[in-house]
Amino acid sequence: MAAGIGAPEIAAPVNTIPFRSRIYGFGSIYGKTVRDSRLSLIIAAGLLGGMSLVMAAGVSSIFPTPASRLEIDKLIGSIPSSMVNLFGKPIGLGTLGGYFTWKYGAIFAMGTALWSIMALSGTLAGEASRGSLDIVASAPFGKRRIAVEKVTAHLTMLGLAMAVLAVGCVAGSTLFGDASLGDRIAPLSAIGFALWVGFIAIFFGGLAFALAPLLGRSGSAGIASVLMVLLWVANGFDALAPIAILSPFHWLAGHIALVGMYDWPAVAFTGLVAVVLLGIGVEMFTRRDLGVTAGLSMPGLPTIVLGVRGSTSRAFGEQLPRAMSWGIGLGLMGALIAALVGTMASQIGNDPNLSSTFSAIFKGFNLTSAGGWLQLYVQLLLIAAGFAAATFVSKWASDENDGRLEMILATPLVRARWVIAGGIAAILAIVVMTVLFAAGIGLGAASGGVAVGDAITGSAVVGLYAAAIVGVGIAVGGVWRTSIAAEIAAMAVLVTYLIDLVAPALNLPDWVHQLAITAHLGQPMVGVWDPVGVGACLLIAAGGIAIGAWGVTRRDID
Amino acid sequence: MTSVIRTEKLTKSYGSHRGIVDVDLDVQKGEVFGFLGPNGAGKTTTIRVLLDLIRPSSGKAYVFDIESSADPAAIHRRLGYLPGEFTLYDRLTGRQTLEYFGNLRGGVDPVYQASLIERFDLDPSRRFREYSKGNKQKVGLVAALQHRPELLILDEPTAGLDPLVQQTFFAILREAVAEERTVFLSSHILSEAERSCDRVAIIREGRIVRVDRVDALRDLAHHQVELRFAGDPPTAEFATIAGVSDVQVEDHLLRLRVLGAITPVVQAAARLGVTDFLSREPSLEETFLAQYGREADAPTAEVK
Repeated sequence: MAAGIGAPEIAAPVNTIPFRSRIYGFGSIYGKTVRDSRLSLIIAAGLLGGMSLVMAAGVSSIFPTPASRLEIDKLIGSIPSSMVNLFGKPIGLGTLGGYFTWKYGAIFAMGTALWSIMALSGTLAGEASRGSLDIVASAPFGKRRIAVEKVTAHLTMLGLAMAVLAVGCVAGSTLFGDASLGDRIAPLSAIGFALWVGFIAIFFGGLAFALAPLLGRSGSAGIASVLMVLLWVANGFDALAPIAILSPFHWLAGHIALVGMYDWPAVAFTGLVAVVLLGIGVEMFTRRDLGVTAGLSMPGLPTIVLGVRGSTSRAFGEQLPRAMSWGIGLGLMGALIAALVGTMASQIGNDPNLSSTFSAIFKGFNLTSAGGWLQLYVQLLLIAAGFAAATFVSKWASDENDGRLEMILATPLVRARWVIAGGIAAILAIVVMTVLFAAGIGLGAASGGVAVGDAITGSAVVGLYAAAIVGVGIAVGGVWRTSIAAEIAAMAVLVTYLIDLVAPALNLPDWVHQLAITAHLGQPMVGVWDPVGVGACLLIAAGGIAIGAWGVTRRDID
Repeated sequence: MTSVIRTEKLTKSYGSHRGIVDVDLDVQKGEVFGFLGPNGAGKTTTIRVLLDLIRPSSGKAYVFDIESSADPAAIHRRLGYLPGEFTLYDRLTGRQTLEYFGNLRGGVDPVYQASLIERFDLDPSRRFREYSKGNKQKVGLVAALQHRPELLILDEPTAGLDPLVQQTFFAILREAVAEERTVFLSSHILSEAERSCDRVAIIREGRIVRVDRVDALRDLAHHQVELRFAGDPPTAEFATIAGVSDVQVEDHLLRLRVLGAITPVVQAAARLGVTDFLSREPSLEETFLAQYGREADAPTAEVK
């Protein structure tokens, strides 16, 4: 009997989709988005929960007695107003919750907001630019539902991360805090803190989401990130007071949940604004043409900068825009900090009690000098420089991950040369970034009446550390796989930071602290260099590129 | 004749996944060699081994008599390659992209490059990300052709090209062959090979199932015959003729497949009073499906 070929006359019945795959898996857009976000959730939740435990342990071990807590309380009203407002009201600094909020609260909020910005700017706009959204959008349901499911999935993951943060706060205070000193954090306080962090994150993520249909992924993420920093800084400077009223940091200034100070109307208002922004994003996506964005009109780069003469210049041409972005961002931050440190140093230098308190909090830093303050901030900016290096690794790796490498390697260019060219280009990108950072530090120092010599030369430490991270990433990409090179590089930055932070705070053996390369860089902003660390950075950078060049000759190209 | 590509028992496995198994090829200078097979048969894997992008698990591959992993740069200097799937630099224009690949290779004749751009009707002033799929393919083709390589390795080269541009592409291939250059063309579209190739190799599930001249493959050809009768068709008379198969009846119409000489069928039809006779020579594609699709279906039939 001949078999009929073609479409069946009666469509097969649609199989029932299991509920489990609808909420996690391939049963719905929501489930697929949740599934795709699992790694970022693990990282975010791990960092937030882990850091809350580590901070609690650190604070409790540094200030274990009532006397030391009283010393911290003296900070109230004694520190520069710009610092007070930037980091929030210093209330209850003698308790774990108060100190935790004041010193680390903004870092938690902005770190989480960055996650939200990247996720919500990319969830639709990024897919649209790749073309994968066209296929999803051709499914038999509307664009609004796609957008709502995508947003709901991110909110779910954010909610889970906030739950982990709340649990971490309660657990940290229970495990390491001293109830007699007021360290115990109640579940309601922890929830209030998590809501503060989460709503600030959704506010800026929502902003990115609302802009994404207009500006595309990078444009919306860039603007939301810049506005986040601007509105945070605006909250701390009288000169920027007119725009501070737009800042969620300003709205939520009275909500310091970890010391039992709640401002639920402000929390609700922030949440409401965030929901409105998300709603605008959904409607913009629904009403506009799919994947058509106005884009940000960036000036075109001349051909000589784009680099079409050879593999190194081409790789550098690819790195240059992000090198400029990182350099300008770090330079602006550096200028701001360098302009303020002179005032901070003189205020602390004039008060011996304050000076000793700060010495206890920030061990090893001479905060009576501007250079000491710069060194303190540069320690934090090393994290940003490390992540910048990871993005340079990511750009190098994109040759293979995006499918260009096949055509490149079908030319007479050999594999090792490709790795070396990419490594040199990444190092050159770091040079560009570091020069811009140094220029910002120099300009800020000059405007603040601080000596610029050590500040500018000390800025090179940022580049040295970033070069070492590039070496790690390229070695991994060459020997193993480029698809994980940037992630491993970013992981190296995080691990280094945590070792540097945790080891002294928990009084771990010194050799643990010495594992972090940042522990070997000296204090270059005050002119003290550690040749071991400098040599190690250069060796890791050059050695990593060499290992990558060797490794790539021994494996298949993906 | 000189071998440009030669493989000996070439095998590549990806862990438990099949790649290619014992692939033997011999591509001669100046020929257009088609490498045909369904999706996932192992065409791209073979090409990637030839280019030393991946290394064989066993066996050897030689291009220009150089072992592919011994000196890939020497091989690459003499070939042009178009991958089946590729992306290039989003921010570069088509012209900048071609300039870059020209610089990497050297030896690009600007006049020939310009003629290719014109013949493919490519606007080189637009950024790569702004191109349609077909225009991206044109950039890839010009990059592969612009230095007049001795060997062209083209993986699914006509994907995304409109019929007019496809004609231009095949004309350029003919010119390349006239200059005694060699073309290794991978495709799953048999009509493409029928149109342009001297010889083809057919790969299925990682193994070469046949290598032959296109003409010889067509000798496999059968005729698809339709006979119309005034009354019920005399099915039994035709079913017993040597070479006849797939006999089907639909009202007064008799359909059958004839492998080899068609004369006995014509004679029987005349004797049995046929009112209409239609015979069609199948395309290479139909031949391929009839031959290798049948083999592929065989295990299923046995299960049943």
